[in-house]
Amino acid sequence: MSDAPAALDDQDFMDALFDLVIPPSASGELPGAGTLGLSAAVATALQADPLLGPLVEAGVQAVREAALTQHPEGLPSMTPQAGTKVIEAQLNSSHPLLIMGLARYLYAAYYQHPRILEGIGELPRPPFPEGFDVEETDAGLLEKLQARRKTL
Amino acid sequence: MPNEPVGVLVIGAGASGAAFSWSIADAGMSVLCLDQGPWMKQQDYPSNGLDYEARGMGDFSPSPNVRGLPADYPVNEQHSDISPLMFNAVGGGTILWAAHFPRLTPRDFRMKSDDGVGEDWPIDYQTLEPYFAMNDRMMGVSGLSGDPAFPYHEPTLPPLPLGKIGNTMAAGFEKLGWHWWPSDSAILSREHEGRQPCINLGPCTSGCAQGAKASTDITYWPAAQRKGVQVRTGCRVREITVRSDGMADGVLYYDPEGELQEQKAEIVVLACNGIGTPRLLLNSKSSQHPDGLANSSGRVGKNLMFHPYAMITGIFEEPLQGRRGPVGCSFWSHEFYRTDRSRGFVRGYSFEAIRGFGPVQTALWGMIRGFLPWGEGHHQKFARLYDHTASLIAITEDLPDETHTVTLDPELTDSHGIPAPRVTYRLSDNSRKMLAHAVERAKEALTAAGAVETSAEPLFREAGWHLMGTARMGKDPTTSVVNEWGQAHDVKNLFIVDGSVFVTAGAVNPTSTIQALALYVADSIKKNIETLFDSA
Ligand SMILES: Cc1cc2nc3c(=O)[nH]c(=O)nc-3n(C[C@H](O)[C@H](O)[C@H](O)COP(=O)(O)OP(=O)(O)OC[C@H]3O[C@@H](n4cnc5c(N)ncnc54)[C@H](O)[C@@H]3O)c2cc1C
Ligand code: SF4
Repeated sequence: MSDAPAALDDQDFMDALFDLVIPPSASGELPGAGTLGLSAAVATALQADPLLGPLVEAGVQAVREAALTQHPEGLPSMTPQAGTKVIEAQLNSSHPLLIMGLARYLYAAYYQHPRILEGIGELPRPPFPEGFDVEETDAGLLEKLQARRKTL
Repeated sequence: MPNEPVGVLVIGAGASGAAFSWSIADAGMSVLCLDQGPWMKQQDYPSNGLDYEARGMGDFSPSPNVRGLPADYPVNEQHSDISPLMFNAVGGGTILWAAHFPRLTPRDFRMKSDDGVGEDWPIDYQTLEPYFAMNDRMMGVSGLSGDPAFPYHEPTLPPLPLGKIGNTMAAGFEKLGWHWWPSDSAILSREHEGRQPCINLGPCTSGCAQGAKASTDITYWPAAQRKGVQVRTGCRVREITVRSDGMADGVLYYDPEGELQEQKAEIVVLACNGIGTPRLLLNSKSSQHPDGLANSSGRVGKNLMFHPYAMITGIFEEPLQGRRGPVGCSFWSHEFYRTDRSRGFVRGYSFEAIRGFGPVQTALWGMIRGFLPWGEGHHQKFARLYDHTASLIAITEDLPDETHTVTLDPELTDSHGIPAPRVTYRLSDNSRKMLAHAVERAKEALTAAGAVETSAEPLFREAGWHLMGTARMGKDPTTSVVNEWGQAHDVKNLFIVDGSVFVTAGAVNPTSTIQALALYVADSIKKNIETLFDSA
């Protein structure tokens, strides 16, 4: 039996995989998902999910093994193009739901990270207690509405 | 030590249990409410943290099967096209609800007379009118008077602002000349009874940390407790017990330590929602009631109605500031509410304009709908979607159907070993046609509002928010479970006040009507207490 950690717990591998799913933005303003230290949280969430967990676990294991057949150091040392091809091959064969399952937790972790919130133009803070302002109701629209309809 | 017997025992501290308990407290009897869930704390709600969207899919998911918290019981939904949703705590579903607060319309109470389908209710809108008004004051309702879709009424507070997203969508309806109106919302636009107004956090459906949304733990319950009503939490009722004459005499429940307790009462009131109530009645079999309590009609657990939903989303060029503001409360439209047989279906639907998705929801929705790729191009597409989507949801009328049921699952149980409910529900042909019609009309409205692309979920599975019809009200004891006062035909000291008693569903969110009914039942008990238990 190999001493290697399970693929979900193999941080270097998972970070490389995350960077392929959400790479850095072209401008560099948004970092790739692999640089934010999300792998432990995503792995924990997946391991607690009885439905998606096993599906994703099998998929990432297959990606890691396939990558190792192409590069002795596996996915972390491959070019993005080559890594993407390895993932696509698994999606098109035995693990069609791999990205869908992974993204359920990866997107949740990435898009609530303060750096990403700032990068997409949001304040990097919870909604409460400051809250937000919203535009008032368009008074012109209301006037039209009230003039137009007396009965339905 | 045995528990002291009480006058009135209410099971369920949600929307209806709270309203009922507050009102019945004036009858001069001792009132106790048992709920399997805890008191919630506003500081624990997800909007206190950055991970609020993730928690809305986890420990604050509307599905008890996803949450799996100690207060929850599992529901077998494998035989249903729609997932039943609820929350089990003091406040019940109102902890998570969106607080969109329409009433049933007068015509909804006479569907059979008007359209020849379903049944007429044994009561009408006018009977409930004073209770709607009382409930509006207790919950704190914001809205704009004068909507032609409803009889004239004046919401307690001015309407909530529509925001840019609501203004944009409303302009589409205006352009088409379709009915729309700012929603009545059980959310404060101004300070009310010591509660602070809405500050537009957005994720109302995972609890309102501001306390602006009317969950009954912060509206009715403090007022009921001031009147002396007791609430016992973490107490799951296993069954209602009966005397030798078949009348209810109390319940057996598991206390927070898992010990079985007995509680005697003169009157037992069920407020466990459209799934929990039939479950408990069916779990309360006895030699006097071999098919479950109050079930001589065989209607307990039958005629489950949900309101099938479609969600239609438009993608706009302009940013819409959509994530801000109460997610489910903007405006509604009753343009297609009434029967027009030329459309190929009977009855109709309403539209509810909702606000925008947060970043996580945008990403997941974009992926599922095929708009957002992984890998190259991800950020570019995300930027096009985020804060650029606006959605309409169609709430379609669900006709009562005896094959739509809540039964006891032969295998599944909750953590106390009590049989869990199984839901059997298949979308009817009428609903399917109505949803298809709604999808096309919503696309028209969104396009008129400026959407450059639209995408539809023609049946939104995770939308079983409204649980109705499973212990319906009626004059005929052979076809209904309770009479027009919510009193079980078979068991005169047993009352039901939750959504189970709905005869038909209308095409609007039900909670305003559920609570008005609960207040009406409480008042009927108070007025008729001397003769209430005389045999018919
Ligand atoms: C996410 C979400 C959004 C919603 N949005 C809206 C909306 O915008 N507008 C609207 O009108 N409605 C909405 N609803 C629906 C609304 O919440 C319900 O209609 C309403 O709460 C039903 O009230 P009820 O009293 O019938 O039951 P509930 O509020 O569900 O209360 C039932 C209570 O009974 C308790 N209970 C059940 N069984 C037992 C037992 N055996 N022992 C002890 N206690 C028990 C439960 O713990 C629960 O607290 C929404 C619901 C959800 C989940
Ligand atoms: S938007 Fe308003 S009602 Fe909704 S959670 Fe925020 S403060 Fe509460």
